[in-house]
Amino acid sequence: MDVRNNRRQAGGSSVVTANRLLDGRIVWLAEDGVWSDRIDAAKVFANDGPQGGSERGSEGGSNGGIESVIAAVAARQQADGVVGVYGVQLRDDSATPVPATVRERIRAFGPSVHPEFAPFTEATTNVR
Amino acid sequence: MSAEAETLADAAPALPVGHYAYDQVDRAFLHDRVEQFRDQVARRISGALSEDEFKPLRLMNGLYLQLHAYMLRIAIPYGMLDSRQMRELAHIARTYDRDYGHFTTRQNLQFNWIRLEDTPDILARLASVDMHAIQTSGNCIRNVTCDQFAGAAADELVDPRVHAEILRQWSTLHPEFSFLPRKFKIAVSGSPHDRVAARFHDIGLVAKPGHGGKVVFDVFVGGGMGRTPLVGVHLRDNLPEEDLLAYLEAMVRVYNEYGRRDNIYKARIKILVQALGAEGYRARVDAEFAAMDRARYRLPPETVAAIRARFGTPDLAAPAGAAESLAAARAADRAFDRWARTNTHPHRHPGYVSAVISLKPDGGIPGDATAAQMDRIADLADRFSFGEIRITHMQNIVLGHVRQDQLHALWQDLRAVGLATANIGLIGDIIACPGLDYCSLANARSIPIAQKLSARFASPELQETIGDLQIKISGCINACGHHHAGHIGILGVDKKGEEFFQLTLGGSAGNDAAVGQILGPALPEDATVDAIARLVDAYLVHRNTGERFLDTYRRLGAALFKDAVYAVA
Ligand code: HEM
Ligand code: SF4
Repeated sequence: MDVRNNRRQAGGSSVVTANRLLDGRIVWLAEDGVWSDRIDAAKVFANDGPQGGSERGSEGGSNGGIESVIAAVAARQQADGVVGVYGVQLRDDSATPVPATVRERIRAFGPSVHPEFAPFTEATTNVR
Repeated sequence: MSAEAETLADAAPALPVGHYAYDQVDRAFLHDRVEQFRDQVARRISGALSEDEFKPLRLMNGLYLQLHAYMLRIAIPYGMLDSRQMRELAHIARTYDRDYGHFTTRQNLQFNWIRLEDTPDILARLASVDMHAIQTSGNCIRNVTCDQFAGAAADELVDPRVHAEILRQWSTLHPEFSFLPRKFKIAVSGSPHDRVAARFHDIGLVAKPGHGGKVVFDVFVGGGMGRTPLVGVHLRDNLPEEDLLAYLEAMVRVYNEYGRRDNIYKARIKILVQALGAEGYRARVDAEFAAMDRARYRLPPETVAAIRARFGTPDLAAPAGAAESLAAARAADRAFDRWARTNTHPHRHPGYVSAVISLKPDGGIPGDATAAQMDRIADLADRFSFGEIRITHMQNIVLGHVRQDQLHALWQDLRAVGLATANIGLIGDIIACPGLDYCSLANARSIPIAQKLSARFASPELQETIGDLQIKISGCINACGHHHAGHIGILGVDKKGEEFFQLTLGGSAGNDAAVGQILGPALPEDATVDAIARLVDAYLVHRNTGERFLDTYRRLGAALFKDAVYAVA
């Protein structure tokens, strides 16, 4: 998937996102590898340092750096029923997860031109 | 029309008015294609196909994965629909999407909230009304577009739909052109007044009668927007109809052979035409044309006639007093009079007019229609225009043949469903791409700017005072919203994850096609609408009587407008 405008920095924290395979809807990686359609359920990871991730492959590795988590999750995306796994940089001034870029805020909170389509006003359905 | 074609037309009175009638071969083809995709979707879900393997397959069926969900882009060949098809689109919007659809500048319809699982069923429903999503994506010859007033306009010389249909048949699954370096867009006009942006297409064709009344084409090539906006080169005049396919085959073949594939931004025919020069490109096309088996590609008049015979034509008969009746209704009702002035187009037949339904309500989302509105438009098309509907590249809808004495009744019904905005060609008639609210390639939102501008300039009196002014907005450099061709163009840019907007002035998509010039530094989102309001004010102050914005800009240059936009204390 072509993903632009979702740059991440060296510091700060991130969440992991993808689209659900069956309906394309946006999901966020929550605790214990569950995918939620609400960003406020997303698990927050500290970004990797300049060295990059720690060892790869740890299953959803809560201790792993963000890059290794993304790699692990991407490796099991078919089993999880998602596509296009990537990390989203968060603002560091908010108590709940708020993405740093407009693009990711629109993904998280719905199209600004249809407030009634915001994920927070819809029934939630977790997959997996 | 040949005698043979005439009999064909007589034999089949139930042809859909306005577009080509499918036969069993066409239907079987679509059915097979749906079942093939159903199998591909099942294999994707089971994991037998990876996303990388599946993506090109879904794109061949118009299915994108966009920002919030899958988006399905449905072809409306040369913009023509009938009421039955429109009702099916409304049904799909209601059943499988969120109750609305989005009409685009490529005469397509996009649904934004589609489920992968549902897509085979949706395609089957489309096939049941002779519609599909083939070639709405991918590096092939895309949906051929044409004039929204085709077959109706008073200034039309040749009905371009027949040739657009021929090109559709020629290009659909063309084995040599299914994997071009990039997507490829062709537009056909049959009027000397370019309403198809022929000069901004990979190939633009302008049909006209040649010697002995035989159809010939003027050919433009290498226009386009995107990151390298270029006005097409005038390649040749008077291409005989018989050679249309052969010559296009040669044109696309040269591009397929020499077009760059190393860099997608340079893979368009416009880059090739620039690299070779118009002369160099023309020489290669001519060489190819001379070398090819011309008999194989010959388009004989009988074939054209046979295709023309598969189009239903309206039986135009207005009462003698239709024009007087319209004049009386206009005199009696000022709001109607205004709408009739802005939202109609002269018809070739006395007593008729083409009516434009604006999909740009004040403060609304350009191009969106709800399922209920789509149903209503279908009903009105049945009542007032032979069940025929056209989609315009300005994201509006046209009823092609409305009796003048029935125009007032049509307007009243449109008003009842919020579809009677009188802003065609005016500042409220804004083209906006989906932008960052839906599009995964976007840098900034386009729709909210369009909404704020159209709300700001909602006054019909003010709009008419400002006159002909086209604002076009794109959320990224791809230019789906045609900003390069806007009198005022607005381009969304991204600065460190925030939205900014760059203004261009002086673009035009018509016969005087031009690429707009960048005015100055990009503006933050909250300053953009005010800046445009100041720019419009500057125009109102400095224009000569009756002068369009574009002409004032061309006469006075950018400095004045630059001051208006940037010189704020
Ligand atoms: C939301 C999904 C969309 C995607 C992913 C998309 C993608 C693109 C891309 C990648 C380009 C650049 C092509 C190039 O290099 O020239 C482009 C251009 C264009 N798109 Fe879209 N687009 C989308 C929606 C639309 C819509 C809604 C319209 C009509 C309103 C549209 C009409 C066009 C047009 C007219 C161009 C200009 C291409 C040219 O002439 O060079 N697209 N689009
Ligand atoms: S111009 Fe850019 S943002 Fe707008 S629809 Fe096209 S690709 Fe998306």
